[in-house]
Amino acid sequence: MKDWVFGLTMAVAGMGVTFITLYLLTLVIKLLARFFPYKEEKKEEGK
Amino acid sequence: MAWTDIFSALATGFSHLTWQSGFLILLGCLLLYLAISRGFEPYLLIPIGFGIILGNLPLSGLAASDEGGVLNIIYQAGILTEILPCLIFVGLGAMIDFGPMLANPKVLIFGAAGQFGIFLTLLLALALGFSRPEACSIAIIGACDGPTAIYVTSKYARELLPAVSIAAYSYMSLVPIIQPPIMRALTTKAERQVVMAHEEKKVSKRVRILFPIVGGIMCMLIAPMGAPLMGMLMLGNFLKESGVVSRLADVSSGAMVNIVTLLLGLCIGCSMLAGDFLQWQTILVFILGLIAIALDTVTGVLLGKLMRVLTKGKINPLIGAAGTSAFPMSARVVQREGQRANPRSFLLWHAIGANTGGQIGSVMAASVMLAILAGMGITPV
Repeated sequence: MKDWVFGLTMAVAGMGVTFITLYLLTLVIKLLARFFPYKEEKKEEGK
Repeated sequence: MAWTDIFSALATGFSHLTWQSGFLILLGCLLLYLAISRGFEPYLLIPIGFGIILGNLPLSGLAASDEGGVLNIIYQAGILTEILPCLIFVGLGAMIDFGPMLANPKVLIFGAAGQFGIFLTLLLALALGFSRPEACSIAIIGACDGPTAIYVTSKYARELLPAVSIAAYSYMSLVPIIQPPIMRALTTKAERQVVMAHEEKKVSKRVRILFPIVGGIMCMLIAPMGAPLMGMLMLGNFLKESGVVSRLADVSSGAMVNIVTLLLGLCIGCSMLAGDFLQWQTILVFILGLIAIALDTVTGVLLGKLMRVLTKGKINPLIGAAGTSAFPMSARVVQREGQRANPRSFLLWHAIGANTGGQIGSVMAASVMLAILAGMGITPV
């Protein structure tokens, strides 16, 4: 494999996988937030 | 013993001092000056600067290459085994608050755009004649992440380790100088003035606890080669978010990370030896590293501009510059530039989210690089 082919392969695969992984992470976060939404914690009286 | 013998024995240090080692000792002193007088990343520059002085003193036995010397032992055990960069990641994880990113996960995408410079610089380094492992090690400076750069370089191009690590840490501290001119050149005043809605969404405790486990497992399954870094980052964050091991979280983000930074800095410094460091190759590494970080900023801001169009003006393109891994320097720069254009603008919350995304993105980019190198049969040194 020539150097420029290696470089382009690395660039396309590297950026592609990084973008896809971070996109999947956003989906994971959205799913977690849907299953476990924030609820206001009850404040204990007298404290 | 004659007096002349005594004098010549006492003067051996001076007689072995070359102009090259003298130059590097002065460079070490300059780093100490910058750290103390100008406040440039003192926690890094002081150990590095002192390490350079110690390593270049003739016959001191304190260079990283001096077999059996105290710093050689630390270098062998901490850098070449990649333990120190991994431990730094535990501390980073314990310090990072993923809250802004969890509340607004869309900004994670900027963390990917902020890694573009790595791969464009890789092409440049290859064109300049560096070997493939060397080009990867130089390009990773664009991650704006010292430990990641050390991790990759110690695996594939140890001869470049001093230059790459110094460049990575220097540029991290110079982010407030490197990024603003690029951000201003690529955006109009109207774009910089965009006020982003600041709805501080709250994130449940369960999401904070589950993210390092679920997100970490997913990233490590996609790119197992980066698992030592990603795993340690998520471990540190889990210690913090679990809320039940506050002593471990405190030690990780305090005493441990400080000790590791001291040892890492000393090792980097004492590996910068006159004969190896003062070469054209080193200057090229520094230039390419600067280009990598500049390109990260360019691609981040350009993605910000695209997002602004797609969201009909709701995104300030400046936050794209925070997609690098220089945490939290890039986010602070974005906040400052935003306020400069519009004092009512408050971008820090969004920028911190993009910046933590950059932290994850840089590890992913490095992991993919390592995976491709391994897949091509290029084995670590």
